Amino acid sequence: MKKQIVFTDTAIIEPAMEMGLREVGARVEFWGIVREKEGEKKLAGLYYEAYEPMAVQELGRIFDELAVEYPCVEVQMIHRLGWVPVGEASLFMRVLGVHRGEALQFLGASIDRLKEAVPIWKRV
Amino acid sequence: MEVKLLAFAQLRGTLGFGERMMECGREETPRMIIGRMILGVDVGGVRVAVDREYADWDEPIGEAKELAFIPPVSGG
Repeated sequence: MKKQIVFTDTAIIEPAMEMGLREVGARVEFWGIVREKEGEKKLAGLYYEAYEPMAVQELGRIFDELAVEYPCVEVQMIHRLGWVPVGEASLFMRVLGVHRGEALQFLGASIDRLKEAVPIWKRV
Repeated sequence: MEVKLLAFAQLRGTLGFGERMMECGREETPRMIIGRMILGVDVGGVRVAVDREYADWDEPIGEAKELAFIPPVSGG
């Protein structure tokens, strides 16, 4: 499985799709957006930081582990760092798979695992 | 030997640094090292990574070059 893991301190731009992937039957995408309300608190944005080399390593491991259960063709992940204003994306994920089932499962499980173990933090 | 110590998020305030070098012994564990900085520290939900791999608080660090103290994560 092809993996792309990118951290950026500028706005996330949707990456172009590679053309001619004849085996791909499903393309699943997720945008995580900073919302204004966190409980009762009204936010202007969130500040993200990461232990970047370890985060890249952990994400690679998570993707490899999940690919055993949910085989996919490619995963692309972009996580923003620094200040992210309300309404802008902090996370983009795209999973390309042969079938939608594996691609959807892979994406959902990746985000769950990211939130459990990948050294990234947000603060108000 | 000199080991690079890293602290992130709220732990930077608690430990008083984001990055520093510290003289450590091969037989020392991460718990002993953090205990030298804050006496009687309760590591609670904090995890430790040795050379960018999650590690045990009570395992000697051996030839480690980098120790990171990792508070509960919240990416996404």
